[in-house]
Amino acid sequence: MTLATCNEIAVADPPDRAAAARRLSLWLGLALLATMTASLATGAAGTSLWAALGDLAQGRALSRVDETILWNIRLPRTLMGALVGAALAVSGAVMQGLFRNPLADPGLVGVSAGAGLGAISAIVLGAALPAGMMALIGAHLVPMAAFAGGWITTLVLYRVSTRGGRTSVATMLLAGIALGALAGAVSGLLVHAADDQQLRDLTFWGLGSLAGATWGKLMAAAPIILVALLGAPFLARGLNALALGEAAAGHLGIPVQRVKNLAVLAVAGATGAAVAVSGGIGFVGIVVPHLLRLASGPDHKTLLPNAALLGASLLLGADMISRTITAPAELPIGIVTAILGAPVFLWILLRRRMVVEL
Amino acid sequence: MSFVGRNIGVELGRRTILHGVDFSATAGQVTAIVGPNGSGKSTLLRALCGEVRCTGRVAINGRDTSQLKGWQLAGMRAVLPQAASLAFPFTVIEVIRLGLSAGVSVRRDHLPSRALEAVGLAGYGGRFYQELSGGEQQRVQLARVLTQVWEPVAHGAPRWLLLDEPVSSLDIGHQLMVMELMRDYAARGGGVIAVMHDLNLTAMFADAVTMVHRGEIAATGTPAKVLTDATLSRAYGCNLRVNCQPPQGGTWLLPHAATLRAG
Ligand SMILES: Nc1ncnc2c1ncn2[C@@H]1O[C@H](COP(=O)(O)OP(=O)(O)OP(=O)(O)O)[C@@H](O)[C@H]1O
Ligand SMILES: [Mg+2]
Repeated sequence: MTLATCNEIAVADPPDRAAAARRLSLWLGLALLATMTASLATGAAGTSLWAALGDLAQGRALSRVDETILWNIRLPRTLMGALVGAALAVSGAVMQGLFRNPLADPGLVGVSAGAGLGAISAIVLGAALPAGMMALIGAHLVPMAAFAGGWITTLVLYRVSTRGGRTSVATMLLAGIALGALAGAVSGLLVHAADDQQLRDLTFWGLGSLAGATWGKLMAAAPIILVALLGAPFLARGLNALALGEAAAGHLGIPVQRVKNLAVLAVAGATGAAVAVSGGIGFVGIVVPHLLRLASGPDHKTLLPNAALLGASLLLGADMISRTITAPAELPIGIVTAILGAPVFLWILLRRRMVVEL
Repeated sequence: MSFVGRNIGVELGRRTILHGVDFSATAGQVTAIVGPNGSGKSTLLRALCGEVRCTGRVAINGRDTSQLKGWQLAGMRAVLPQAASLAFPFTVIEVIRLGLSAGVSVRRDHLPSRALEAVGLAGYGGRFYQELSGGEQQRVQLARVLTQVWEPVAHGAPRWLLLDEPVSSLDIGHQLMVMELMRDYAARGGGVIAVMHDLNLTAMFADAVTMVHRGEIAATGTPAKVLTDATLSRAYGCNLRVNCQPPQGGTWLLPHAATLRAG
């Protein structure tokens, strides 16, 4: 058979998963609206979202308590949960595409560990700062330091693994493991120097929590996360091609080096900002992309937006569990995501052995 | 119109793999690169497509490739690597569509299915790439490459297929099918450069042959001129004789004697 004769044959395309993935986006969008509403309606305090909305509809003013709880506590927390969930899931998906490895995760290349070291340094060493300075920057010190730690880790990682304008993915992974171990070790040293109150802070922060959500933190994290989330889909074509390997992607006309640079920036930005405001929340970045690949395939054009939607919904769900299961006390959300996420992850590994043999 | 490499030198690590070789292929022809393992065939092909850094100059249709952007090159030539891997569970049709997004082909929508048909894999579109056999995977990669530069001539200039051992893991029927496909592409004005190990298929289908030996060009020209007892024996390190029947008789089989069946 020759190409010329093939031209005359009309062949039907097989049903593609892209349409299914787009339908999934719709459902995930609706699910996110539902979880956001539920998140606004749930909480340790007795305030009812529906009663408050009824009051507003009839032109009555809210009580001070209700207004504070809904506007200053639940709303920023809900928005932050959605943003952080989306950021974690998308940075996981981008990182996996970049490393062509479904097990890669910002946690793996040391970005989270670096951000964590920054935060721990701020908690432990911040006490030694002059009182005047603390009054000035106290509230922002931990998030800022976490953010800086994530960036510095990424920059060092880049210096180590980039030669002559090209990044070796293998070197970057190994360097990431080394950097993560280093950041973890230094963090351990600092924990030794911490006092009791700091230790409690550290534990809570280390396991991850959305409890500290305020409009201020939200405004600090949102721009970076939004830029990363909105920019990520532009990397989709490049990440798809990278699945064939860097050389093959280059032959397809993809500016490989630029795609890799931008992907690293997006990951560092989203992860750094997320870790800064909510600590180390695990498994979202690895479980969400996995589930979506199982459901609708690995095409990044739909994977990235869907990961944002599903990550946001799942983290809000986990946050509601963390707020209610031991009410009026609260579990760190990282415990919830680990308890839910780790078994799912193991199940995925069992079901699809092929993910580990790259 | 031609694909030319002048004085190409490649160093990998501290070893010199190619010692300033000249290479040239003409559009409308199938050009084969042959030579023993490790002689530098893949390295030459990778230098031609810009995958490894090399000294010397490479020009495609008279234009220096270092002056062309990645996306421009992607519209002029497609490259089939010797070994391909795939990271995520893409289906066959999704893999082939990756080629579609790169090239500039008209009537794009049905191209992936047509390319699958052309490599004898009609109906495989919905299957997972990783669950195919080695030979099937190789043909899917070929279909992807074909999709990228489907029309052999675009804007009056030939397009190029650079194939590293396109038939290495195929059975004899599919080898003939793919070789026919290459010949057809060249006959319609495109250029085909293929690294080959099968010297019979090379003799049958190639219009020009370049033999690489220890990083140098040992011979170049028509198959009859290059595939001689002396040249082959020197390059491959064993005594070879062309057009010689097996002295002990027995069963032997040449692709020359095969005829393709329709469908
Ligand atoms: N990345 C590398 N670093 C160092 N040496 C390399 C590298 N890649 C290939 N080589 C060496 O370059 C030489 C030529 O390799 P090349 O892949 O071009 O051979 P080939 O002719 O394609 O062989 P084959 O028939 O086995 O495919 C070999 O000796 C090989 O060991
Ligand atoms: Mg080779």
